[in-house]
Amino acid sequence: MKVFLPILMGFLILLVGLVALFIFSFRRQHYRLWHLGKDENRSVHVSARLKTLFAVTFANLRIWDRKESYPGSMHFLIFWGTLLIFLGKIVRLFSYPVGLALPPQNIFLDASFVSEAGGVLVLIGGCMAIIRRYIIKPPRLETKPDRTLIFIWGFALIVTGYLIKGFRMAAMGVPVPPDWFSWAPVSYMVSRLSLVLPTAPLNELLVWHRVLIHALPAILFFAYVIVSHSPLKHSFLSPLNIFFRSLKQKGILEPIPNFEEAETYGAKEITELTWKQLLDLEACTNCGRCQDACPAHLTEKPLSPRRMTQNLKQHLWREGPRLLSLPPDQRPSEPVMETTVGDEELWACTTCMACEEACPVYVEQVRRNVELRRYLVLVETKFTSDIRLAFKNMQQNSNPWGLPRNTRTEWTKDLGIKKYAEETDPEILFWVGCAGSFDARNQKVATALVKILQACGIRFGILGTAEGCCGDSARRMGNEYLFSTLAAGNIETMKGCNVKKILSMCPHCFHTLKHEYPQFGGEFEVLHYTQFLGDLLSQGRLKLTKPIEQVITYHDSCYLGRGNELYELPRRIIQSIPGLKLVEMERNRKRSFCCGAGGGRMWMEEKIGTRINQMRTDHAIETRAALVGTACPYCLTMLGDGVKEKGKEESMAVFDLSELVERSME
Amino acid sequence: MMETYFRPITIVVELAILMAVIYSLFAAVDFVLLDLGLNQKYQKFIKLVLMIMGCLALVFFVAHLFAFYPRQSMMSKYPG
Repeated sequence: MKVFLPILMGFLILLVGLVALFIFSFRRQHYRLWHLGKDENRSVHVSARLKTLFAVTFANLRIWDRKESYPGSMHFLIFWGTLLIFLGKIVRLFSYPVGLALPPQNIFLDASFVSEAGGVLVLIGGCMAIIRRYIIKPPRLETKPDRTLIFIWGFALIVTGYLIKGFRMAAMGVPVPPDWFSWAPVSYMVSRLSLVLPTAPLNELLVWHRVLIHALPAILFFAYVIVSHSPLKHSFLSPLNIFFRSLKQKGILEPIPNFEEAETYGAKEITELTWKQLLDLEACTNCGRCQDACPAHLTEKPLSPRRMTQNLKQHLWREGPRLLSLPPDQRPSEPVMETTVGDEELWACTTCMACEEACPVYVEQVRRNVELRRYLVLVETKFTSDIRLAFKNMQQNSNPWGLPRNTRTEWTKDLGIKKYAEETDPEILFWVGCAGSFDARNQKVATALVKILQACGIRFGILGTAEGCCGDSARRMGNEYLFSTLAAGNIETMKGCNVKKILSMCPHCFHTLKHEYPQFGGEFEVLHYTQFLGDLLSQGRLKLTKPIEQVITYHDSCYLGRGNELYELPRRIIQSIPGLKLVEMERNRKRSFCCGAGGGRMWMEEKIGTRINQMRTDHAIETRAALVGTACPYCLTMLGDGVKEKGKEESMAVFDLSELVERSME
Repeated sequence: MMETYFRPITIVVELAILMAVIYSLFAAVDFVLLDLGLNQKYQKFIKLVLMIMGCLALVFFVAHLFAFYPRQSMMSKYPG
């Protein structure tokens, strides 16, 4: 007690100092910096946010992954080890003044064991981290000197902790009871090796000497973490980012507020991002999982989501303090584009959301990229000629192919399809989309779907030439003006026809109509055809009896899978077809790999690196399946091209699921 | 007996820890100074100063440790 009372007092004084330092530093280094950004409401649904926060933080949910078991377990050990050390230490420290320590009560002894075990977990996890970072060296990890510092410091703190306890036991001058091994196994072993001096005062000095060696660096360590830009700041920045994450489906873009009156659009400067987007930058732990999932990065394009986020973080740290020193109305900042993000880097993004799915702390990349594109497109009008052509086609003909709008229904000849307005009591509007209307390969898909609907006796209609492009590509390429015009036109048409329920054959149209048209007053019930066919199958209205004796692999479309979490329904449809055997590609479901057409990339040339569709085709070829199934017109086109480019047309064919269903019908 | 055998090792371990702590402290000062906006051109000079200070601290602490470690022969036997 004589020894511990001053330690407790010292600890409390230093704790107050650390808390004050934390508050001061948090406000100065983070809070004020984030509030350079634009407003955004992320405070609603607090209970849902808390639930995810605790689940994700304490169970390390987003860190565990089948493919990430080593870093997952490593982080889990370090995280829980640290937590146990803190828990044990605090209980023990406060056990002294309340008399639980002498004689030691169970809670005191349990706390001793908990902190000892925590230390072991941290040491194991730390060793795993050292092996990974310095021996295995995965390419996605960046090792800067501050990482090495953290390892050395962390190990020194844990080991000195054990040494102090060991010395204290040894210095008691009486035989240490062997049952102490149960409560402090590591320290007990240290005590057996410890030097004990001949006199009691010398022993007390020795203990104090060790306490200083441990406590001083421990306090300075926390001060360092608080004051510097240490990567360990993720211990509080990550939970904050998890709490303020988006609760919407992935891939939903927000409209530009006050579009008519705004003086500028998108984000030119770092201050034109929202406060949450600035928090995202600071919360990024530089773990590189996004990079390993990014199709652009993996095909040697000049984009790495990790690097882009880290560069923007450096930009924020460079510009932020300077801007804060100026009055709010005199804050001209360096433009983000050119200085920090390159044009080719930005346009390489397929908005496939793989980076967001892989991110353990919910950093939102896609929306930020589109904000930067909006500035380039709407303010600078700086984009390549192929993008210009796609915009022109959408604007003049309401389809990116640029074919005359009045030819939109040519594929319907001889199919007996009625216009929605002419159908008696229609159940559903079949939204064909531009691909189904104008692209020869996808016209076959639309035809197959029509035949299924007719065979099942569904009363449906189409909008015909009144249907316009949904605007997905325009929006993701940053042309919000064009998107809002297209959306407004389609909404007006559908409302004029009293449409309530929509069936879409394209995941991009589906995602846009379902999630983004409501932003413009277009509230409809929207289904992707896999959902509709799934319902027909379970109701017994659709019967699949003709066998297709083939092996198939299914490619998850980004906007059907990650965007809308429809992973199992398409597989259920495949399994309903007799004879068809499903094999999975290595990257499937939420880890699926983009075909390369999303985010408007369908309309841009791909000149750098390997073509994304070819890499995805390679994934399919590895399965040795004879068929590749998909449920997206873009994926169908891209994978079809991939198979041709790889010279595999004789051994592999790409089909839309609706075509297979139609072939298997009675 | 075993304890006596391991004592030199524990002394080496303690020296290693001391070096690790001193390295951590001075390296952290270096990073914090850069974080707080110190011009990169001073980095070499700062590193040199911190290295000298680190070495001096190490010498001081080693001397301090020796004050606590009398010759092995004078050590009392482990009481347990």
